[in-house]
Amino acid sequence: MTCQRCHEEAAVHLTETVDGRRRELHLCVPCAREAGLSLPASPPKLGLDQVVQGLIVAHVGELVGELAELTCPDCGVRFMEFRTLGRLGCPTDYQVFARGLLPLLGRSQGATRHVGKSPRRPSVASDRPRLRLRSEFRAAIALEDYERAASLRDQLRSKDADR
Amino acid sequence: MNLDDLTRTSGEWLRGTGPESDIVMCSRIRLARNLNDFPFINRASRLERTEIESVVKSSLPHLDDDLRFLDVNNLSKLDCLFLKERQLISGELANADGPRGVAFSPHENVSIMVNEEDHLRIQVMLSGLSLQEVWERINRLDDQLEERMAYAFSSTLGYLTACPTNVGTGIRVGVMLHLPALVQTKQIDKVFRALQKINLAVRGLYGEGTQAFGDFYQISNQQTLGKSEQELIRNISEVVPQIIEYERKARQQLVSEKRQHLHDQVSRAYGVLKTAHTISSEETMHLLSSVRMGINLGLIDDLAIPTVNELFIHTQPAHLQKIQGSPLVVDERNVARASYLRSRLSNGRAPAEE
Repeated sequence: MTCQRCHEEAAVHLTETVDGRRRELHLCVPCAREAGLSLPASPPKLGLDQVVQGLIVAHVGELVGELAELTCPDCGVRFMEFRTLGRLGCPTDYQVFARGLLPLLGRSQGATRHVGKSPRRPSVASDRPRLRLRSEFRAAIALEDYERAASLRDQLRSKDADR
Repeated sequence: MNLDDLTRTSGEWLRGTGPESDIVMCSRIRLARNLNDFPFINRASRLERTEIESVVKSSLPHLDDDLRFLDVNNLSKLDCLFLKERQLISGELANADGPRGVAFSPHENVSIMVNEEDHLRIQVMLSGLSLQEVWERINRLDDQLEERMAYAFSSTLGYLTACPTNVGTGIRVGVMLHLPALVQTKQIDKVFRALQKINLAVRGLYGEGTQAFGDFYQISNQQTLGKSEQELIRNISEVVPQIIEYERKARQQLVSEKRQHLHDQVSRAYGVLKTAHTISSEETMHLLSSVRMGINLGLIDDLAIPTVNELFIHTQPAHLQKIQGSPLVVDERNVARASYLRSRLSNGRAPAEE
């Protein structure tokens, strides 16, 4: 295609519709500048890396990236395990996996924010020291560190007594 | 608690009373709740599950509802199935292992499953279309439980559940409908497609993944996040009357266009149930469905709806075996079922004792 003004090779192609009529404009770069069209100094970067990255994340990405390896400190569930089994391990997962969960909720529930009933005395995440103690207790048992397990159990009992 | 005693009664939700009860068998709401400082069930140790159980058990005496706790872990397979047939527990709780249980009211309107998919699955069921009343009851029960335990709750995501499909309100609002005329006139698929478009789920008598026996269908919400309990209840409450209207029209169509045929079908169904000597569960459900519609259309006048409602449950495998007091294989069950039906239908008007 040649430039409509100087018959050099056209590089800028514009289509506009005015009053329902379609108008096409083909210009070379100097003529386009002269016509007052602002052009980028260099060709736009396609950002192929980003496109590929986006595709990976959209299809398998969350399972191979750092998100997959996110592990809940309270229950030890990894995000990848949740994606495979469909069940979370403890309430803290909702915070730890927020980055992966919120888009999922947006797709499946069409919302990412609760509306409706709340407990009269809402719990907060920092109210979960027992959850952490329990996971440490389980780990100590698994490692056969019974001394530590016993101390953790005592701590749990004293917290139970506070309840 | 002696489960054998329950074979002589049935849940209040089968009573066949309440608004639109010719078509609406019952209204049901369940809430999924978890304790704040325990892992969800799939990560909880036996010890932790036992602790969760005792937290729930210790709250029971403080509730307005009179709930008795039953340790499901110590029940036989038959008893688990028996509770499942009565809608007191889910298939998942029946088939799981480890510490788990259910607390339920004498009228079986209220039940709390402990250590199912979530720590607590609270359920209230009432006969007929009465979602608002069900909500008021379950909401009060939930408030009272919450005074005794800290629920896992986030201000942005609401009640936190083991599966994100329940997060937010944790609510499932369901209505069980008897739709034999829509099935017979082949319009039921059209109804389902319309419901799916507005994001409502259609399931069989026993919930997720089960077949629609006896033309019973449960319609319930799928979304639990981003809409309030009242909105979700309103959605279902607005849709159900339309389906009831379709079913009534289909029944009228059958009456006006095929009266002889319909009367014949209903009478034969009743006749087979009253006289058969061996009958499968599937055929029983199918025939009871015709009889139930026949009573509601005035084609049968010597049988009461509560009796038919109850027979849907009492002719199922675990119930038959509990009533007989011995384990039965399929063929024996078919004979026992026919015999039970003959005895119950020979004095049609008498439902089981309250």
